[in-house]
Amino acid sequence: MPMHVLDRILRPLRRRPVTSRYPDAPPELPPAARGLPELDPSRCDGNAACVEACPTGAIRLGPTTWSLDAGACIFCGACARACVPAAIRLGHRIELAADQRDGLVTVRARSGPA
Amino acid sequence: MADQLGVPVGGVEAVAPDALAARVADTLAAGGRFVMLLGLDERSLGGDGLAVEAVATRVDGTLARFRAGLPLDAASYPSITPVVPAAHWDEREARDLLGIVPVGHPDPRRLVLHERWPRGYHPLRKDIPADAPPPIADRHFVPFEVHGEGVYQLPVGPIHAGIIEPGHFRFSAIGERVLHLDARLFFTHRGLEKLVEGRSFAAAAPVVERACGVCTVTHALAYAEAVERLASTIVPPRARWARVILAELERLYNHVGDLGNICAGIGFQPGVSRLGWLKEQLLRANDALTGHRYLTGIVAAGGLVADLEPLALAALPATLDAIGAELAGAVRAILRSEGVMSRLHGTGVVARDTAAALGALGVGARACGIDIDLRRDRPYAAYGELEVGVVTAAAGDVAARFHVRAQEARESLRLLREAFDRLPAGPVSVPLATLPEAGASALGAAEGPRGASWVWLRAGAGGTIDRLRLRSASFANWPVVAAAAPGNLVPDFPLINKSFELCYACTDR
Repeated sequence: MPMHVLDRILRPLRRRPVTSRYPDAPPELPPAARGLPELDPSRCDGNAACVEACPTGAIRLGPTTWSLDAGACIFCGACARACVPAAIRLGHRIELAADQRDGLVTVRARSGPA
Repeated sequence: MADQLGVPVGGVEAVAPDALAARVADTLAAGGRFVMLLGLDERSLGGDGLAVEAVATRVDGTLARFRAGLPLDAASYPSITPVVPAAHWDEREARDLLGIVPVGHPDPRRLVLHERWPRGYHPLRKDIPADAPPPIADRHFVPFEVHGEGVYQLPVGPIHAGIIEPGHFRFSAIGERVLHLDARLFFTHRGLEKLVEGRSFAAAAPVVERACGVCTVTHALAYAEAVERLASTIVPPRARWARVILAELERLYNHVGDLGNICAGIGFQPGVSRLGWLKEQLLRANDALTGHRYLTGIVAAGGLVADLEPLALAALPATLDAIGAELAGAVRAILRSEGVMSRLHGTGVVARDTAAALGALGVGARACGIDIDLRRDRPYAAYGELEVGVVTAAAGDVAARFHVRAQEARESLRLLREAFDRLPAGPVSVPLATLPEAGASALGAAEGPRGASWVWLRAGAGGTIDRLRLRSASFANWPVVAAAAPGNLVPDFPLINKSFELCYACTDR
């Protein structure tokens, strides 16, 4: 067998796999990746700028709660940019499937004014 | 006269309804190109009726805009389609959405609104509320059929055996040869143009860029340009060059993916795998650079939402070099495969005259010798300072579209490297300079992976949108796909379709 044919056959063995291990391993996300918006309740002052900024109405602010509907969120980051105390940032949560519609809504307790 | 962006301003010329066709035809005869036709409801701006506006580019790059006012109760005008065939879908859309009737249009069927929408219900009219669900009529679709001995019908879709968008393709065939293809699209109507009315420019941006998933930057750039023109805003240099990087990244991942899809159209799995892997690498580069694999939420009127990620930007040249080498190898392997190329040659031929008459754009036009590219012909972002090599081919078949894409991908890599080298430091956004007065209108455009997409935008009161129309490259090119099918074997249609690789969602909006 000519050498270059042998080389051709063996080349894939020397190469690292191009596929990733997900979902067996955690997803490989770059630092900038925009996942679901996350709230730091201790920084939230309840100014509702996020509710105003959200283009799809995914965010609701209650007297003691902050909730986000992942079924409506488009991951644009307008809430994070509008939040003056920087209580919201887009994290790396990307596994968002739920078996009920309600399961898409995340409710967080917050203590600041409504 | 030139505006602050250095691009000549074209005002709107009021014309009589029966003079519209002649004025547009004269502009095209003088070397211009048809851009779009749209219907308007003037009542929100103090008028008492409707209007129809036709837009074309002149040879010198200026826009020729002709507007004809129409009474509300008898909104009709002589159709321009008999003399400007490229306007055929635009006119049918204006009839469906605004009830403006083009008298003498050769195709009286509905286009955007299917039969379940009631007669006389025109959702873009200002007296129809945006949040009210439309009433449902009980009429049914009557397909276009060719009758005759030996002709049979082959209905395909709207639901397909794959992760693709909905469309109903009705083939009339004799034996295995397609005699006629009737493509019925517009199954994805979300009323986006109604949705943005009354919104601020910033609040409408996420809607416009999500008209489809794969021309995000193109649509965002066209929209941003229209807003920046209305608001007399000049984008800082770093944002202009970064926009070139984003636009070329979008072209590159689309072209690489579409080359792979052509392989999928004939079941050539090695090509599908190699190019699919490359596309994934490009998507990951997009993610690292902007936080989104399909580049949403990065372009904004006035510049960019945020600067490109510095670490990912620094790594970009090395990534692109590796991708360029792998892409060249993959394309070479495909071109050397006689079995593949024999399927591509002579399949899905579009005659140059047909493409020109239908107003084909982008790869579909350039692959049959129509030398157009907005990056060179009407530069935006920083393209005016770049030498964009425009690739054309003569044959107009699937192979020609493959070659054009492969070479355009290579040119994109070159432009990316140059834009990276010339990317200046500085801010990436400025606030809008002025608030446009109500009634002011402007157009923006960008050359995407499928051709030129145009946004027509009119301001309402207080910095809101009165009317927006997005005419995507796919909208212009779908009729060309239907024209490419007759004479080919039915099983070659997936290949022909994939050689255009058009989007359904932004056609519909």
